[in-house]
Amino acid sequence: MGTDVELFVDAPRAGGALAGAEDEFHRLEAILTRFRPESELSRLNEARALEAGPELLEIVALALEARDRTGGRFDPTVHDAVVSAGYDRTFEEVPTNGSAVSAGAPCGGAVRLAGRRIELGPNVRIDLGGIGKGYAAARAAHLLSSAGPALVNAGGDIAVAGGTWPVGVQTADGELTLELSSGALATSGRDRRRWRRDGRELHHLIDPKTGTSSHSDLVRLTVVASDAVEAEVWAKALYLSGETDAVREADELGLPCVLVTADGRTRFAGGLR
Amino acid sequence: MTSHVARLYSIALALFVFFLTWAAVGARPWATNGAAQTDSRLTALSAREQRLRHESAAVQRLVRHRWAVYRTQLRKRHVQIAAAKRAQAQQAAAAPSVRVVSLPPLTVTRTS
Repeated sequence: MGTDVELFVDAPRAGGALAGAEDEFHRLEAILTRFRPESELSRLNEARALEAGPELLEIVALALEARDRTGGRFDPTVHDAVVSAGYDRTFEEVPTNGSAVSAGAPCGGAVRLAGRRIELGPNVRIDLGGIGKGYAAARAAHLLSSAGPALVNAGGDIAVAGGTWPVGVQTADGELTLELSSGALATSGRDRRRWRRDGRELHHLIDPKTGTSSHSDLVRLTVVASDAVEAEVWAKALYLSGETDAVREADELGLPCVLVTADGRTRFAGGLR
Repeated sequence: MTSHVARLYSIALALFVFFLTWAAVGARPWATNGAAQTDSRLTALSAREQRLRHESAAVQRLVRHRWAVYRTQLRKRHVQIAAAKRAQAQQAAAAPSVRVVSLPPLTVTRTS
């Protein structure tokens, strides 16, 4: 998944559970990655329609439902926009500097689910990078919980199952620790996975409205939610909303948030103090 | 003199015949049999009554059907509302528990 994964389980003999969770990550990556042409997702993007397996079907359904709930701020159809911004290969292979890229790509295209079949509209391709990672973290945490209280950190998407876990969150001034005893948290921001094209700084957080890297007034936003998929969805949606709207919406939805603004402030929202 | 009286009698007779004829014509003796036949206005009125009865029955059926559909939908809606409330309660129960502490972190979340 192009990221480091940490697995923690509070149990004396958890080797089997840890191996099972690791296998689950590899299995889901083989289905959901857009960087391998043989993955189920790549075959869907290539063929435009596919009789999908249960995981791809479930994650696409979750992503489409999230698109509706977030008013299109979270959108799985950003694939072409991400690629046109220059993120067209695994991040380690993306050149830090390069020549100009195209002016973006439209998002929000039609995706139709009919039974087990997924059909993509014209010029629509799907990227499930973020939500897939959240989904995998939740699945791994569930598998590990059979051995004991567990925490999974999939490149910033953290899911816990049982126990109480101190998790560090980067703020404008350093770091604070959140004690998480259920649910999950995720962070979205433009402080990592960024590159330059023709002197312009680009990053992986695409605003579906413009089809280009977002110009949010936030640097980073961490959100706590009931599960890792929800956390991933809302981290992205609230980040794209910008500081004022993100704070208001997080308060309304009761989503605890830590926001780091571009002018170097740290704000809390959603009941977190 | 005799001629004058005869003229008066003639005029009186003429007037009598005239009014008798008027009365006879006014009585419309030829219409006596026609009245026994159905008046076309009554026929139309009757047809209209039948039509209205029929339409009324149709409207009643429609209203009963719509009422039944409404009651069914209302029951479904009540079930949905109850399910939504249960889901909300479950979500509230599953709401993440988080607080800021002064412990060192085990792991760190960063931009994914």
